This record gives sequence, C-alpha cells and structure tokens, in this order.
Amino acid sequence: MIGKAEWFRMRKYGGWGITPATKEGWIYLGVMMIPLLVSDWLPGEEKIKMIVSFGWMAILIIDIVEIMSRMKKDEREKAHEAMAERNALWFMLTVIVAGLLYRAIKAGLKEEVYIDPVLTLALLGGAVVKGLTFFSLRKK
Amino acid sequence: MRTRVKEYRDQKKMTQQELADKVGVRRETIVFLEQGKYSPSLNLAHEVAKVFGVKIEKLFIF
Repeated sequence: MIGKAEWFRMRKYGGWGITPATKEGWIYLGVMMIPLLVSDWLPGEEKIKMIVSFGWMAILIIDIVEIMSRMKKDEREKAHEAMAERNALWFMLTVIVAGLLYRAIKAGLKEEVYIDPVLTLALLGGAVVKGLTFFSLRKK
Repeated sequence: MRTRVKEYRDQKKMTQQELADKVGVRRETIVFLEQGKYSPSLNLAHEVAKVFGVKIEKLFIF
C-alpha cells in the first residue's frame, strides 16, 4: 500500500488512528489530506467531486487500517488487552447465563420450555472455541 | 525486581522514547520497567541489554 508502519508511533491499546513519528509520516498525512481539503474549490460537477472525495477517503481509510495492522504491538499492552478482553468476556458470560436461567425459570413456572437458540449456540460455541484454542496452544 | 535500566540509559544520554523506539515498545513500558513495576519478557530484556551492550543479569536483578 502507500504508507509504512515505521513512519508512525506505536498505537496505544484502545487508541484510534495513527500519530506520525517521522517526517515521512507527517508528509504522508499531509499529502493524503490535500485532495479532501481542496476538492471543494476545484471546478466541476458537485456529484463527481463528491464521488472522487468518497473514493479518496476510502483509499485513505483502507491504507490507514493496513498500516495499523502492520504496527508492532507493545508487549505490556498486549497483556493488558488480553486481561481487558477476558474481563469483558466474563461479564458478558455472567449476564447471558443469568438471563437464560431467569427466562428458563420463568418459563418453567408456567410449565413451558424455554431455550434461546442464539444464546445457547453462543455459549456452546464459546466452549468449543476455548477447547480448540487450548488444543492448538498445547505445543506452543 | 530491581533494574539498572535508568542508570545505563542516563550513561548513554538516551531518552525513554529513544530507548522505547529502539526496542519496539511504548515509552510507558520503559517507565514501568525502570520503576521495577513491570517484568519484561525474555525477548524485551534481551533487546534492552543489547542496546546497552551488557548482559541481562547486569541490567535486571531478581
């Protein structure tokens, strides 16, 4: 693509966008922003200008996402990310299980059977993914 | 864990950001590393030791 990951600062976990760390990074951002800034003053049909602006913005977004995907992550923040995601997962699991139990008990009192296929699949799928992950990480 | 990272960094007249850029971490990680609040991976410890040209055991005291 156009930009290089080494032109920018390492992204903070939870942070958005890219911050230039070198002059190439600043030049890249400046040059990429020019068409978006000057398109309004250029002559031509409004519709065409809008299409060109959106097209350029799409290129810019794809390139920035690609740069971010190539950025090396800080090892301390990688651990933080794992912990934050584990905590979020435990919270979601607790809410889902409590909700399913509540609904199952409520249905049971009315002598009905309650099974939410989507949430049940999510819980079973999660257990399978966890098992597969442990299996694949066993020898690493 | 105690470290001598700050001592060696001062000797080399290097900023925390410069050291962070050289070893591929964020500046905050160097801050916590110098304060002994973060135990680095073997890979990071090796990278930092390589920057200062010393052995890992001279830099990190467990």
